[in-house]
Amino acid sequence: MQKQPLEFTVNGRRRQLLVAPYYSLLDTLRDEMQLTGTKKGCDEGDCGACTVILDGKPVTSCLVLAHSARDAEITTVEGLASPDGLHAVQQAFIEKGGLQCGYCTPGLIMAAVGFLQDNPVPSEEDVKFAIGGNLCRCTGYTKVIEAIMLAAETMREQNS
Amino acid sequence: MADFQVLEQSHPRVDAWEKVTGQANYAGDVYLPGMLMCKILASTRSHARIISIDTSKATALPGVRAVITGYDFPQIRFGSGALKDRYIMARDIVYYIGEPVAAVAAEDEITAQEAIGLIEVEYEDLGAVVDPLTALRSGAPSVHPDLESYEGYGFTIEGGNICTLLDADRGDVDQAFMEADHVFEDTFRSQGINQGFLEPMACAANVEANGRLTIWASTQGPYQVRAQLASVLDMPLSNIKIIPMELGGGFGAKLRLAFEAFPALLSMRTGSPVKLINTREEVFTLNGPRHPVTNYIKTGVNNDGTIIAREAYTIFDVGAYLGAGPNSGIGHGLGAYNIPNFRLRSYGAYTNKVYVGSYRASGVADMTFAVESHMDIIAHKLGMDPLDFRLKNTIKEGDIAVNGSRVPGNGLEQTLAAIKERLGLPKELPDGHGVGIALCEWRSGTGPSTASISVNEDGTASLLTGSVDISGSDTSLASIAAEVMGISIGDIIVASRDTDLAPFTGPSGGSRIVYSQGKAVQMAAEDARDKLLALAADRLGVPQEALGCAGGRVYVHDNPPQGLTLGQLASASVNSRTGPIVGNASLSTLPYAPVFSAQAAEVEVDRATGQVKLTRYVQCQDVGVAINPMAVEGQLEGGAVQGIGRALTEDMLFDQETGAVRNPSFASYLMPLALDLPELETLMVRVPSEDGPFGARAVAEPPGFGPPAAIANAIYDAVGVRIRELPLSGERVLAALQGKISEDVAYIGDELDELKRAEGLVA
Repeated sequence: MQKQPLEFTVNGRRRQLLVAPYYSLLDTLRDEMQLTGTKKGCDEGDCGACTVILDGKPVTSCLVLAHSARDAEITTVEGLASPDGLHAVQQAFIEKGGLQCGYCTPGLIMAAVGFLQDNPVPSEEDVKFAIGGNLCRCTGYTKVIEAIMLAAETMREQNS
Repeated sequence: MADFQVLEQSHPRVDAWEKVTGQANYAGDVYLPGMLMCKILASTRSHARIISIDTSKATALPGVRAVITGYDFPQIRFGSGALKDRYIMARDIVYYIGEPVAAVAAEDEITAQEAIGLIEVEYEDLGAVVDPLTALRSGAPSVHPDLESYEGYGFTIEGGNICTLLDADRGDVDQAFMEADHVFEDTFRSQGINQGFLEPMACAANVEANGRLTIWASTQGPYQVRAQLASVLDMPLSNIKIIPMELGGGFGAKLRLAFEAFPALLSMRTGSPVKLINTREEVFTLNGPRHPVTNYIKTGVNNDGTIIAREAYTIFDVGAYLGAGPNSGIGHGLGAYNIPNFRLRSYGAYTNKVYVGSYRASGVADMTFAVESHMDIIAHKLGMDPLDFRLKNTIKEGDIAVNGSRVPGNGLEQTLAAIKERLGLPKELPDGHGVGIALCEWRSGTGPSTASISVNEDGTASLLTGSVDISGSDTSLASIAAEVMGISIGDIIVASRDTDLAPFTGPSGGSRIVYSQGKAVQMAAEDARDKLLALAADRLGVPQEALGCAGGRVYVHDNPPQGLTLGQLASASVNSRTGPIVGNASLSTLPYAPVFSAQAAEVEVDRATGQVKLTRYVQCQDVGVAINPMAVEGQLEGGAVQGIGRALTEDMLFDQETGAVRNPSFASYLMPLALDLPELETLMVRVPSEDGPFGARAVAEPPGFGPPAAIANAIYDAVGVRIRELPLSGERVLAALQGKISEDVAYIGDELDELKRAEGLVA
């Protein structure tokens, strides 16, 4: 199928690409832009490994057609850190040991970043619900939840 | 506890930064110029002769660069062990639905997929057998009629589909059963399990200009993949380089050759790099999962609760190929107990299903469910407290383990005591609430291990190991090296590795890396440290014994300000008589070091629906020494949650007629989510092992063993029904509550007599 022009903003940079109409946002990020931090675990919307932030909301990018993200603002795991350092969520995952094999980690981090924007003072139950669409086989989630709670605290301090 | 500078303190993973920023590279992240994409055509028949394969339409499709079938590979069977029962791609016969029949390389994935749909295969069906107990019966359709002609076949018991038998015997078990005051028998059945790693199998292959083959692999065992690939491609092992990429979970599934041969051959045919990434459906249907297991257990007990005899028969379904086989299960038929007389048998039966793979101490979780449920049943029937009954029979230091080794000192009893104290056992709970325990055992894994450490001119050290990091092991290995050399963990560079570069190392599996590879790292670091001390002694003009090594320097014990930094010594070594400082170590096996874990579950059972809510899960493991406590906890928590999935929800469903996987997706194969977590408590006791690095024991396998039995025992405590089949679903519990599952349900009957007759044990 003929590739068609597409424009959107990824990690703060306006991008113009030619993308086949059937291509998902996930495949576009990975195959066309080499942003391989976003992972494909199932390509069916079940595992959450491909979570990115699209216009402020976490989405599973395997279920988003690239062309439906026309003119959108997209943040991937590669776009989180600033020149000042890692995002509080990234730092908390490191400190609390919220990652092992790391394959689900970018998706979990993006789900947490999106969630904490809306709920800066979450309970543990809120966090479990927020990452309820993200499968992790290694950690048993305990340290992931601890990391997100720590990140929430850090972000509140940063914002106060 | 010893006074450690690095160990027993939590350190972030050495690879954490790459992983939280998306910079860690997995096999699927390999993009090479001109790279083609590979897709696999899978068999749609359970057992059939291939009459013809027509690839002409696929080959003619624009964008397709090559199509291969089983006939394009050398006619060489391979296997995971001695028995060579499998072609890498079907040749003449397909043995299960999902078996690779052809593969395509095309300029993009969608073209490759389209080409797969254009390949025409004509089959002639042969008789299929799906149920392992049926497969065992004489007269069942034979999965491999020519088995006896296969290389490595060495098994003589009649019964067409039995491909392996593992056995262990001690004492006079029949006499002991006659003398026992009580004899108990139970049969348990556990379900098929998918390893559930998040990164689908992926690999890329490229033939270099000089004819050497490079494979970017998602593997736990790069040297195993290299050897098996050399065998199926019939090429010199030295012509293959395996680059193990970051591994997105394996849990045993990625120990051996998977599909690397397909992109490899396609790259050889096209001269271009070729990449293959499985879909999630393929992960479920083409890769070896664990199959259902039937465990029959019989125990002779005296009135005082002393166990004197045990018989255990395990029927493993191995699917179409022996694959990972029954392996570990048989050694665990005694559980964590000292039983003087036993007969243990483990049969592998071929069926027309996807071949069996490894998963987190394959077979032991199934056996632990059986043994620890059975122990609970016996305790209740004898009117004994389940924990006291276990304590009365635990294996102790100086006893002889089932493998014939003397049991060294260990923390088994402390783990039980810790669980008892934490839960306040024994305790009475209201109706519908219950508590259950399970005692788990494993051994620290061993096998060939090597390490090399070179000291850099700035005082840092580069650590080279061939082991793949599957559990934070790189961080643990760096910690061990840092502890020995008296530097910080940040001063250890863990070098990236491939099979050309790193010395041979066994696969990362079976809780082997920290115990054995860690020992090699410790020895290599000691070797490097001794060389540093020798050089410093020479330079400072003092005897080596007068020197210590800490804080990045070698110093004189009696006059600590006098010394040299590791950087100064490394710089000096470059032009010294003995040359640059490199420490090396190599070992094959370490002695038996058992690992024990006591676990407990609290549940709430809804009598109206049978639904089981796991409210609390507590585990306590003897870790010896916690090299990196945060990583140890992570392994224990993750393992327990995998075990909870096995206990309650995970269930690979196979079509009873065709053997096809019925639920090949994460939406239908239910692994635990964060929302499913109980209150999870992780405790450790520390009785150092005799031979592990600084006394460490293996960690990762036992936490997953306990949940099925602990939860089944808690369900019994809550509502008085005994579930002998996994998973412990609401449906099954409700059926038991309604009396639809009888107490003495048998999953094995005259098959057992048939097996015993074949062995001449009964007339």
